[in-house]
Amino acid sequence: MLALVYFIILAVIAVGAALCVLLSRHPLYGALSLVVSMVSLAGIYGLVGSPFLGVVQIMVYAGAIMMLVTFVIMVLNGAKDKRTPMFDGVSFFIIPAVLVLAAMVGFALLRSTMTFDSATVAGSVKVTSETLFNMASTGPGYFLLFEVIGVLLLSAMVAAIFLAKRHLGSVISENTEDKH
Amino acid sequence: MELQPLYIQILALVIFAIGIIVAVARRNLFFVLMGVELALNAVNLSFVGFAKTLPAEASVTGQIVPLFSIAVAAAEACVGFAMVIMIFRNKESVDADSYSDMKG
Amino acid sequence: MTHLPLWFIPLFPLIGTILLGTIAVVSSGAKKGPSEGLVGTLAVLFPALSFAVVAILACSMPEAGFRETLCNWIDIPLFRADIGFLFDGLSRIMLLFVTGIGSLIAMYSIGYMHGDRGFARFFAYINLFLFSMVVLVLADSLLLTFLGWEGVGLCSYLLIGFWNQDIKNCKAANKAFIVNRVGDIGFLLGMLTLVTIGGSSLLNYDGLAAFINMVIGAGEVVELVLPLSLAGLLFFIGCTGKSAQIPLLTWLPDAMAGPTPVSALIHAATMVTSGVYLLARLSMMFCLLEHVLLIIVFVGMFTALWAAIAGLLQNDIKKVLAYSTISQLGYMFMAAGVCAFDASIFHVFTHAFFKAALFLGAGAVIHSLAGEQDMRRMGGLINKTPVTACVMIFAFLAIVGFPGFAGFWSKDLILERIFVSGPILGPIVYVVGLATAVITAVYMGRLIIMTFFGKYRGDKETEEHIHEAPAVMLFPMVILAFGAIFSGYLWADSIGLTFFRDSMASVVGQAQAIYLAANPAAHVNPVIFAALGTLAALGGMYIAWKVFSRARIIGVKGASTVPEGSAASWTFLWDYIHCAFIAVVNILAWFCDVVVEKVLQAIQWTIAAIVEILGDGASILQVRKVRLQLSFSVAGVALLVMLVIFSGGLV
Repeated sequence: MLALVYFIILAVIAVGAALCVLLSRHPLYGALSLVVSMVSLAGIYGLVGSPFLGVVQIMVYAGAIMMLVTFVIMVLNGAKDKRTPMFDGVSFFIIPAVLVLAAMVGFALLRSTMTFDSATVAGSVKVTSETLFNMASTGPGYFLLFEVIGVLLLSAMVAAIFLAKRHLGSVISENTEDKH
Repeated sequence: MELQPLYIQILALVIFAIGIIVAVARRNLFFVLMGVELALNAVNLSFVGFAKTLPAEASVTGQIVPLFSIAVAAAEACVGFAMVIMIFRNKESVDADSYSDMKG
Repeated sequence: MTHLPLWFIPLFPLIGTILLGTIAVVSSGAKKGPSEGLVGTLAVLFPALSFAVVAILACSMPEAGFRETLCNWIDIPLFRADIGFLFDGLSRIMLLFVTGIGSLIAMYSIGYMHGDRGFARFFAYINLFLFSMVVLVLADSLLLTFLGWEGVGLCSYLLIGFWNQDIKNCKAANKAFIVNRVGDIGFLLGMLTLVTIGGSSLLNYDGLAAFINMVIGAGEVVELVLPLSLAGLLFFIGCTGKSAQIPLLTWLPDAMAGPTPVSALIHAATMVTSGVYLLARLSMMFCLLEHVLLIIVFVGMFTALWAAIAGLLQNDIKKVLAYSTISQLGYMFMAAGVCAFDASIFHVFTHAFFKAALFLGAGAVIHSLAGEQDMRRMGGLINKTPVTACVMIFAFLAIVGFPGFAGFWSKDLILERIFVSGPILGPIVYVVGLATAVITAVYMGRLIIMTFFGKYRGDKETEEHIHEAPAVMLFPMVILAFGAIFSGYLWADSIGLTFFRDSMASVVGQAQAIYLAANPAAHVNPVIFAALGTLAALGGMYIAWKVFSRARIIGVKGASTVPEGSAASWTFLWDYIHCAFIAVVNILAWFCDVVVEKVLQAIQWTIAAIVEILGDGASILQVRKVRLQLSFSVAGVALLVMLVIFSGGLV
């Protein structure tokens, strides 16, 4: 019963924050609302028995990614985007479409029966890491995936640097342009 | 009344819908990316919710997949914002509709 | 293994090809060609080594022959082929004269090709030819034979067009190549037919013989005669292409555009006889196919007669020999057509000697006259080039069938076999064959008289330069002349020498026995045939002497050494027939081009137009905004989910 109360509180916060993201005019407000939403989702993870995932959620999403978002918003000064309207004709087309889709999926969900399994394991660090890295019991699949993710992150980093740089090796010429 | 797995799924569905709406309906590029993050989060939540309906070993799997999904989301955000920076430099605009140079 | 490996035989010419080819390529940029001594030595050495191997093997060969499988070639489901060699009575004879005459002619070429820029290239081709020919003869399956078959065709093409500065030579080479392709299609389809009949094991000669024996044993000959006849006919088309029989004979006279040693080696002694060889190889199959044999007899008969008549009308010394080659090949096919394969191969064997000698002699004449080929500008050469003249006269006596010479034994044998082959057909074909022998004596006599007797009709200027060929050319000629005289004694029925027949018996004996059992031969006295043959030869020679020694042959004026006459006059009639065929095909092609292609294009355009209209219609839906497209796709997903749910997909 208590779990349900906590869940409702967290869910309301998460949905409310998500709606704030939808409706806020300034991207910075949107980003801050998103942080709130993610933290409350992390709370739900902890509530249903995956504390490790919740912690990762806070660290990566609420920490790293949102920091990146706010940083970029500030760097680009997206606040000056006052001319463009928040919504337009497309927006009013997408909302019913998504609502219909959600209604359909919800309909399918409601017709299914699900119960919590009592033997389920709480996703602690120990359990998670054993499943990930103990190749003797689960085979090399997860470990391989883990390594691949490492490569993916590295390549994403390289790509980001490559894209964000104005032109490769053109720092000097830009400086000379600035002087004129 | 106890907490039902269905509630988690409904919550995930709602957040997912809001995420998609944010991503597509808003014209500001930052909101587009934030909407995508929101939708990804909803999917992670759905994973965890379903994992809890499974017995021991299988449920751990349901909690590991979101880990990878978070890592991929981080990479996606990293590249995505780099692209936003690059496009912004060319267009001086964060309006998604101004990026329609492809003929069509 | 107690004997030398069989693959030594093709190996040596292959090494020669590679070495000489490398020399030719390396020296192609140099100002001076490679050393002729070195190239000539290499060019003769490898065929001679090959000949030595053949000779050693031939002496130690057991009755059944050697069989050797080198390696697997193709191994897929439904089809299996090995690279294997078969050395038996038939391939022994063929190999002996292929490598032997090949070595002699290579030696002769050293003198003939002296000073030519493509010296090394020429010998590389010759070695490649010998390699292919050895593969053709030595192969133990039709597939490998086909490889050699194509290889000799390629070499023939390369060597006919050897002096490729002249467009005429290139055209002649193209003609030979293309006409041969028609025959090769027959060969290929024949192999396919055999595979269809009984699987890939039939491509092996031993496998084929075993299959035929099994069929005969099971009494199923009647059922299989039709498909086997088809296969036999197709193989025979292949043989007509390679051996220049009606209707695919027009290429051989044109092939004389190549250097004379090539004409001697490829277009007289060896390659053109591979059709006869193939018939003998497949004798087990052909002996069952009476209708195909009938066709072969008639084709051989008409070819022999027609080519002999055409030979009367030629002025080019090499053309005369070319037609006589076709005519002699006609004899061989006639013999094969009455299932006298041993006599047919025997004629191949003797013919190789005297025809090679004739060609080499003609080459020596051309050489001494600095490229003159027109017989109307020769004459009286017997005093100036006595050795050449003697060689050619001996070979002439052999080809006309003068008693005691090689051609006498083999030709009379063929005529005898033809006569006894059937009650009505035999005598008819025999008479035609005998008439052909008379004509042969006439036109060969004309050649000898015009070339060596009478007065010299050429320019004074060239007359002073007439010289006997160098020793390196004379030596092979003399050897071949000896062959032309004595090779007939390997099988001289009248005096009881049957070595050749015994040697061939293991290969074709069974087939001939089967044929004889079906068509019993009348017994006749061979002396009558010998007498008739001698009479034909003497009569022909007498006519030639009467007509051509008196006739005032008009010496042609002008400096041109190119033989007179267009392609049509060289090949008499068949070029026109070919042209008619080509015209029909052209009309068909035009029809396809104008009508069929247009119809197809119209269909194609219609489809394209429909697709384009559809595409245009779809592109209206396409919008500029990415977001709108995303919205559409979300709406589409919603629709799909709706569809799935309401159609009961997720009950």
